[in-house]
Amino acid sequence: MADKIKLFVNGVEVEVEAGKNLIDAVGAVGIEIPHLCYHPALGADGNCRMCLVGIEDGRPPLVPACKTPAMAGMKVLLDAAHIKKIQHDVMELELINHPTDCPVCDQAGECKLQDYYMAFDQAESRMNVPQVVKGKKMDFGAGVVHDQERCVVCGRCVRFCRQITKTGELGIINRTDDARVNIFPGRPLSNRYAGNVVDLCPVGAMTSRDFRFKQRVWFLKKAPGICHGCAKGCNITIDHNREKYKDDIIYRFRPRLNEQVNGYFICDAGRLSYKAENEGRLTEARLGNKARPIDDVLAACTREIERAEKIALVLSPNCSLEQMAAVQALAEKLGAFLSGYSDGYIKPGDGDGYLIQDDKAANRAGLGLLGIDCSREAFESAVQQAQLLINFNNDLTRSYKESDLKKLLQGTKVIAVSSHDTPGTALADLAIPVASYSEYAGSVVNCDNILQSFAKGLSKNNDLADICAIAVQLGSPLGSPKERFALLQQSISALKDLEPDKIPAQGLNLNDSEAANVTA
Amino acid sequence: MSDRSQLISTGTPFQFDKERDAEFERLIKRYPTRESMILPALWLIQEQEGWISQEAMAYAADRIGTFASKVYEAATFYTMYHLHPMGRNHICVCRTLSCWLRGKQEIVDYLKNEIGLQPGQISDDGKFSLEEVECLGHCGTAPVVQVNGEFHENMDVDKLKSLLATLK
Repeated sequence: MADKIKLFVNGVEVEVEAGKNLIDAVGAVGIEIPHLCYHPALGADGNCRMCLVGIEDGRPPLVPACKTPAMAGMKVLLDAAHIKKIQHDVMELELINHPTDCPVCDQAGECKLQDYYMAFDQAESRMNVPQVVKGKKMDFGAGVVHDQERCVVCGRCVRFCRQITKTGELGIINRTDDARVNIFPGRPLSNRYAGNVVDLCPVGAMTSRDFRFKQRVWFLKKAPGICHGCAKGCNITIDHNREKYKDDIIYRFRPRLNEQVNGYFICDAGRLSYKAENEGRLTEARLGNKARPIDDVLAACTREIERAEKIALVLSPNCSLEQMAAVQALAEKLGAFLSGYSDGYIKPGDGDGYLIQDDKAANRAGLGLLGIDCSREAFESAVQQAQLLINFNNDLTRSYKESDLKKLLQGTKVIAVSSHDTPGTALADLAIPVASYSEYAGSVVNCDNILQSFAKGLSKNNDLADICAIAVQLGSPLGSPKERFALLQQSISALKDLEPDKIPAQGLNLNDSEAANVTA
Repeated sequence: MSDRSQLISTGTPFQFDKERDAEFERLIKRYPTRESMILPALWLIQEQEGWISQEAMAYAADRIGTFASKVYEAATFYTMYHLHPMGRNHICVCRTLSCWLRGKQEIVDYLKNEIGLQPGQISDDGKFSLEEVECLGHCGTAPVVQVNGEFHENMDVDKLKSLLATLK
């Protein structure tokens, strides 16, 4: 942990972390210094002048907090009359050419300009000259739509493209009150993280083509989650809402800070992966291709299990550790071979060394930790010998062409326990719908061996069972979360002395506990 | 200030001529980073073409190895870079203190009334363009007019008339 220092804010002593600037240091203890251009991931730029504070040690009356390191004994003034005046004046300056179209602006409700106006300004406009007219709804590419008039020219988006993605598509064109953000003609945003400029924008200048006009943000419920788009396991906020008479659906994913995993950002593919949580879902249990009550289908499954001499099980590398444990115990009980074969989830060469990984599965490391075989040979020979294959949400059409898959499954009955209605599910003789990752709690291990647990994000009108529960109904002996966790504790030494609810919010780094030991 | 973000495309790729190419390579050795060449490269383009097109900016960015957005920023920030074609003869009239006091307005008014040339505009025949500029550094011989980069000092309307007559 970093050293602590004591300083004074408005005469009150506070203890903060050393080595940070004033905004971050006192922000961490709940004192907000208003700022527009500063962002911890992009550094201090000092252009917005919103964070000006007073420091009583003989320096000039106004200093930018973003560029001032917190020092022991510092006397910081936030509520002096001259500070309040400068905050008011900066707000007035920012609002001179602002269209104030909050009622139709997507950012309303999470807009810094709006918040700061209410906090520091609240004055009528004194403008009596025409406002500067600039570009509206400009297509910047990569699903980003820009409104130059709403922009406060803080340059966060420009710095993001230059410092983080190093693609530099955006620039600040012209100067003075004509300054505006633009792309060079014919060179639009073309990086795989472009959606982050929408989150970074403190106002409504950058909007997402995908999200705009879909929901007012104050209606959205925010649930923390883990992105299952690839092996990185980026931390996300799931913004969802149940409109009257409708089902609870997800409207967007936003990045959630985790220094250990993804920092402040997520990739665009992950951002848009929320769509798969809403669409293409398997919602009904099926016998053949007819919808049946789930109890009938489960009973039919039990009969098939009793009838089959040899059974093979296959798991998705996206399943949580708890689901894997439950299915592993089921395999043991049935004397069945359990495979985690899922090479089709890997897209070689797609990773970029930053957040995006080749492996498009969230918990392949979990398969390794539990000692589950992932080889193609073992999977195929097990399927060929078995009369019954129970598939826990593994989309085999990602690993096989449909014709090859049909050939492989010839003479084998298939039970698909599936969250999505994929072509693979359609081939199954029996299908059982289950919850997807935003609808259950669990934990996953990412590509850097960091174990992260997540809570259930949202409840559907017709809430589907977790794979754990289905595994239990099919005969898995691990009936309770406690029993499943106990099995995980046997396989993962880092969990041995931990209570299930004591997994740190930033994730548990299994590399630290020297033995990320595989008990195989 | 005015909006200078609308770039004009020529539809043909830009390239330095031999002389500017050599000059570019000579200058780039002077600077610690290649990005320092943004402003000199824009000057070279303007020297060659009289103005800076979208293609020329893209060329400069690629040649320097920087983002086109950075070149775009610099070119739109400084009003001395011309972002549209100018007249065959570009007339700059100094509008700073000494020249103003010594009668720059008479010169501008003459150009306005007799040739129909407004500051920032090109004459209909494309022969002249006029720009009012900040101090040209010849205050001792004000007012000063710069035509195609050449200085003409102690100007008055009569001298301007005979000067214009020599221009093609």
